Amino acid sequence: MTAAPHPVDTASATPRTEPGAGTPARVRHRRRVLLTGSCALAALLVLLAFALALGEIRLPAPVALPALFGIGDPADVLVVQEFRAPRAVAAVIAGAGLGMAGVLLQRLFRNPLASPDVMGVTGGASFGAVVLLATGASQTLIPVGALAGGLLAAVLLGVFAWRSGVSVTRLVLTGLAVQAGLAAAVNLMVVRFPAELANSALQWTTGSVYGRTWEEVRTAGGALVLVSAVAFLLHRRLAVLDLGDDSAGALGLKTSAARLQLLVVAIVLASLAAALSGPVAFVALAVPHLVRFAVGPPTAGTFALSGLAGAVLLLASDLLVQHLLPVHGLPVGVVTATLGAPWLLALMLRQSRPVHRSQA
Amino acid sequence: MTANQLSTRGLELRYGAKAVVQDLDLELPGDAVTAIVGPNACGKSTLLRGLARLLDPAAGTVALDGADIHRMPARALARRMGLLPQQPVTPEAITVEALVRLGRFPHQRLLAPWSAADQAAVEAALERTGTLPLRDQHVDRLSGGQRQRAWIALALAQDTELLLLDEPTTFLDLRHQLDVLDLVADLHTDAGRTVVMVLHDLGQAARYADHMVVMKDGRPAAAGPPGEVLDAELVASVFDVDCRIVPDPETGTPLVVPRDRAGRRTAAAPA
Repeated sequence: MTAAPHPVDTASATPRTEPGAGTPARVRHRRRVLLTGSCALAALLVLLAFALALGEIRLPAPVALPALFGIGDPADVLVVQEFRAPRAVAAVIAGAGLGMAGVLLQRLFRNPLASPDVMGVTGGASFGAVVLLATGASQTLIPVGALAGGLLAAVLLGVFAWRSGVSVTRLVLTGLAVQAGLAAAVNLMVVRFPAELANSALQWTTGSVYGRTWEEVRTAGGALVLVSAVAFLLHRRLAVLDLGDDSAGALGLKTSAARLQLLVVAIVLASLAAALSGPVAFVALAVPHLVRFAVGPPTAGTFALSGLAGAVLLLASDLLVQHLLPVHGLPVGVVTATLGAPWLLALMLRQSRPVHRSQA
Repeated sequence: MTANQLSTRGLELRYGAKAVVQDLDLELPGDAVTAIVGPNACGKSTLLRGLARLLDPAAGTVALDGADIHRMPARALARRMGLLPQQPVTPEAITVEALVRLGRFPHQRLLAPWSAADQAAVEAALERTGTLPLRDQHVDRLSGGQRQRAWIALALAQDTELLLLDEPTTFLDLRHQLDVLDLVADLHTDAGRTVVMVLHDLGQAARYADHMVVMKDGRPAAAGPPGEVLDAELVASVFDVDCRIVPDPETGTPLVVPRDRAGRRTAAAPA
């Protein structure tokens, strides 16, 4: 009876949970989202300050920030208010729109490769904007043209890729073809209507936020706020859709209608972004992955965070293009595409790997 | 008090051009556990999806307590009837609690915040399925049995009086099959839920169901209490298996015992 205790007795019988299991996972997740969100917001504000201060005339922050509100030397005020601020805000709005659109599309298609630039939506939006510009339409109508173009691309994608269920490869390949075709159309327009489009050719072919005006920023920005509010309202539906059509249907969700609503919201967000920045690559593709890496599985909180992350990413890329690269006048789309191409390649290679990881 | 009786009239369910269920008149009793059994591809899962309104009928109707389910608002129906699909899709890295919370969807209005009633329903569902200790774990890292209980908890959080389960025991080992079936039995006896489930194992169906529907080629070959329905002729005609039916030594319910190979060969051709 005095035998040494069996070694198993000393081992804890309860299964080990994850580290830090004292607090509920939900609370931990929320804290992490808040913390990361605060960091991203702080980064965004710092980047905005840099965007206002840096340029051909370098203004120290104590001069640049008051100048934003019309205080100080009129020349400084003009530079900050009319040139730097709208460009920076355009990058923020376009980045936020792309980030949120990327999350929506990747979840709707259950596919880490889905994004508005891979699927042709930003190309379509650029095409729509360029057509309007070439016909001499007013600046305020550009977002409308972009929207129509984005929807057109989505319809094209639907016609070519939808037929026999959505296969991942088919979707991506068709999307790339649609994007390439529309990019060619944009190039054609730029060559055909040089007078109307010359100064914005780079925006529509590669993606750039150079030379944005308050008028454009206001229209697209207002629309973006509205549409992202709709996206938040629909987020619960998105979470239910994640359960698959049968479970979602049994929970009382009209799955086709909900998917269409969310798809339209995603396309509108991406098109609004493209109306400001043209077909900027990589941001919408990368943001969902970066956010998941930073804070974990998708929730309403991470959705907001992806808007913020997109804004930080695009604004940072634009600052990089303007101030850190030796070559001047490059559009921001060059940076994002250069970073994005290898990223896309890596993702595709991982997807087509024969042996899948368990959580496909 | 509603009875939770599902019935079909002239129901026809199709996948594309192929009619899987045809001209089906069925009455499922309320306040009971019903098992739908039948050979592979007999249309039993299709029938369940039709009953859950996941498939629009090509003809005929499905009624819940006499009311056509296709005329009910989707959420109103989802507050009365829940479903566990055969192979549910687990979202990436979702925790058990987050999964179960989604069961409250039909009870939530567009702008309404999470309510005390929602939380209470989730706690009750976690407790009843024994998944309270797992609430913070990722569903995709659970064992098959635990995962199935988490999904049943989602359906319970939906708080419906009628519960449809599509082969809830598939892919589970015997112990976990019995756990799930015991849970189903408790849901009926303790919580007063009406359960309709598709099962593979005839013996388990006979043990756990009050009512049994045996399907063949999209039609019911027999329906009624297992003790009255399940006999050797039925199994021979539906499953093409020559067998003896003996009383289950534990419960007295019918138990299907296939004949030995030699006996089967001689008796296989019915007169």
